[in-house]
Amino acid sequence: MSTFQQANVLGGRALREALRTPESLVPMLFIPMFFLVVNLGQAGKIFPSGSTSFLHGQSYAAFQLPASLLLAASFGSAALYLVEDIEGGYFDKLRASPVSRSALVIGRLQAEAVKSLVITAVLVVLALPFGVSVASGPLGFLLLLVLTSLWAVVYAGFMQLIALKTRSAAATNSGGLVFFPLLFLTPNFVPRGLLTRPMEIAATFNPVTYVMEALRSLILQDFAWATLARGFGVAAVLGVLMITLNVRLIRQYD
Amino acid sequence: MKFAVEAESLVKQYRGRGGTVEAVRGVDLRVEAGEVFGFLGPNGAGKSTTIRMLTTLMSLTSGTARVAGIDVAAEPDAARRRIGVALQEAGLDPRQTGRELLVLQARLFGSSKPQAARRAQELLELVDLVEAAERRIKGYSGGMKRRLDLASALVHEPEVLFLDEPTTGLDPASRVTVWDELRRINERGTTIFLTTQYLEEADQLCDRLAIIDGGLIVREGTPGQLKSELRQRRGLDADPTLDEVFLDATGRTRERLAGEVQEVSA
Repeated sequence: MSTFQQANVLGGRALREALRTPESLVPMLFIPMFFLVVNLGQAGKIFPSGSTSFLHGQSYAAFQLPASLLLAASFGSAALYLVEDIEGGYFDKLRASPVSRSALVIGRLQAEAVKSLVITAVLVVLALPFGVSVASGPLGFLLLLVLTSLWAVVYAGFMQLIALKTRSAAATNSGGLVFFPLLFLTPNFVPRGLLTRPMEIAATFNPVTYVMEALRSLILQDFAWATLARGFGVAAVLGVLMITLNVRLIRQYD
Repeated sequence: MKFAVEAESLVKQYRGRGGTVEAVRGVDLRVEAGEVFGFLGPNGAGKSTTIRMLTTLMSLTSGTARVAGIDVAAEPDAARRRIGVALQEAGLDPRQTGRELLVLQARLFGSSKPQAARRAQELLELVDLVEAAERRIKGYSGGMKRRLDLASALVHEPEVLFLDEPTTGLDPASRVTVWDELRRINERGTTIFLTTQYLEEADQLCDRLAIIDGGLIVREGTPGQLKSELRQRRGLDADPTLDEVFLDATGRTRERLAGEVQEVSA
């Protein structure tokens, strides 16, 4: 059985696990929608669609949606399930089988990507009543799903690193909170050009900025290829880095 | 002669904040194919560490270990194909059903979907879990979990089965059921390497035993040989029990052991 097939088998198991704990999916929908509604309520009047050029004629909810999508993608539960496997001894059972160490990592991340595709699609549909549309059309919507899922893989990979290193649910949970400062050090409320200089510098060094700008471009405009290339590039590089570090850590796991 | 398990000068050191801890300090072992081999020792003696090294779950600090003729450090995947492992905590996924768990395990060992389904059914019958097969594992009793764990270690018909305290926490009836299953598995030709804290279990099941204490093997032989050696050395009228052999080998008194038990249960 190839690494790819093994990852598929393990990914299937991880998806089954998620479907059997639907309560773990609720925060992935509720909290991002909560932020979308609250941010729209607080700043929607400041940025009316008719007179705010960076909205390209859409509602402020469309500008805010990428932040909510990234937030949902960062709520993946793969790492917490991994800690459960470690604590319960099932991880050792898997390690004692002749499964590629890469498949052990990729299986869960693959399931996280699939979950994120579904959650992102649902969130976009839920955002439609707030005046949001995907300006880049069906292909843009597809790219939006793929890029958000790529980010889900990156962040789940980061959380899995913490899980493998600490083997602790508490530490892994805390790792999830790191995303909040990252999310707010971005052009979250206004485009990068309107940020104060220190904030603009911080946002420029923050990889989340580029993924957010790429998602935003797909929602507000037609295809802005340079912005998309930066967003996909950042997510792909970080994704490869996370998978590499995970595989390395799992090989050294004693 | 090809040994089922062969370890030479096996050492495991951990580096912690308080310095280096030597959990296993040079273990030599030879287990013949087809044997039931018992590995005994008090808490913290190095039993689990040794079994984890032999099953590729832990790196060796130094020494060599071969299982079914394969060097576990040099060819871990080849070794994994020949061994079955059931560790102290029944390593199961509580959200899967018993059947799903066995099918998944068989698939990971390279079986096709139909082969995996057939093997899962055979094993469910072997460990008498057919009726519970479609239930999620979180609802299983301790004994059922142990039997399922045992079944999952057998999906690929391993040459050597490693069991780390397979009956710890089980009621006497479940323990006897597991013993019967182990005997059946051994009769089919599988070598069994088990650790246990129950000396009665070792006496009932094992062809040969080794006792480890402080990371070193302090006694090795058949239960009969070990008892007879102690009887002669102490000039006893009758054969001592395995408990007495264990106490003698580890330099522990009954009082000290009772203290250790209290510590564990506190």
